[in-house]
Amino acid sequence: MSTTSLSRSVVVGSKVGLHARPAALIAKAVKALDATVSLQKGEKTVVANSPLRIISLGAACGDEVTVLAEGPGAEAALAEIAALVEQDLDAD
Amino acid sequence: MLLSADRVRLDESAPDRFAAVRRAGEVLVQAGLVEPAYAEAMLERERTLSTYLGEGFCMPHGTDASRAHVIRAGIAVLRFPDGVDWEGETAYVAIAVASASDEHVAVLQQLADVLVDDERAEQLRTATDPQAVLDLLQIEEAASA
Repeated sequence: MSTTSLSRSVVVGSKVGLHARPAALIAKAVKALDATVSLQKGEKTVVANSPLRIISLGAACGDEVTVLAEGPGAEAALAEIAALVEQDLDAD
Repeated sequence: MLLSADRVRLDESAPDRFAAVRRAGEVLVQAGLVEPAYAEAMLERERTLSTYLGEGFCMPHGTDASRAHVIRAGIAVLRFPDGVDWEGETAYVAIAVASASDEHVAVLQQLADVLVDDERAEQLRTATDPQAVLDLLQIEEAASA
C-alpha cells in the first residue's frame, strides 16, 4: 500500500491572515478529512488540526504557504484545504 | 495593561461552554473593559463558531458588530481546573479578549507562540498563582504601546 503525499503552494486570501476564524474553519475542515494536512511557511511547518497550530504559523494575507497532504484522501484534502487558504474566510 | 492580576481567575467552574463564556464576559464587564452588550455578543460569537483553539485553550471574544461596546482593549484569563466540554474537546483555560480593532490579531499571534510550547502551555493550565500567569503571558501591547 502506497502512501500518497502531495503539496501545493497557495497565497493566503483572508484579510487578517490565518487567524481566529480562518484558522478555526481550516482546522475544522482538516479534522473531517481522511488525510494528515500540514501547512508550511518558510522554515516552519505545522499540522493543521488545531486553530492554535495554524495561528502559530503567523501567515498574513498575501503570504505564500504550502499545503501538504498525506494519506488515502490526500488529493481531495489538498484541493479542499488549498481552496480554503486562498479564500477570504473572515468575510461575513 | 493588556492583562493584570485582578483579571486572572484561577478557580472557575462551568457546566458547559456557554456558561464559561458568560463567566468570561462577566469578568471583562467587572474589570470595566467592556459594556454588557459585548458580553452578550461573546455568546453569539461562540454559537456561530467555537472559539476552541486546541491544547485545552479557548479564546472567547465578541463579534465585529459589538466592537463599539469595548471601553478599552485587554484580556482576562479564566482557568477551569475541572475542564469544560467544548464541542467534544476539553478546555481548561479561557482567554477572554476585549478588542475594538484588529489588534487582537497581534495578541493572538503572541499567545499562539506561548500555547504551542508544550512546557509553557502545561504551566498555564496548572497555574495556581496569578503572577505566574502574567509571567507566562508576557504580551506586548499592540501599536498603542
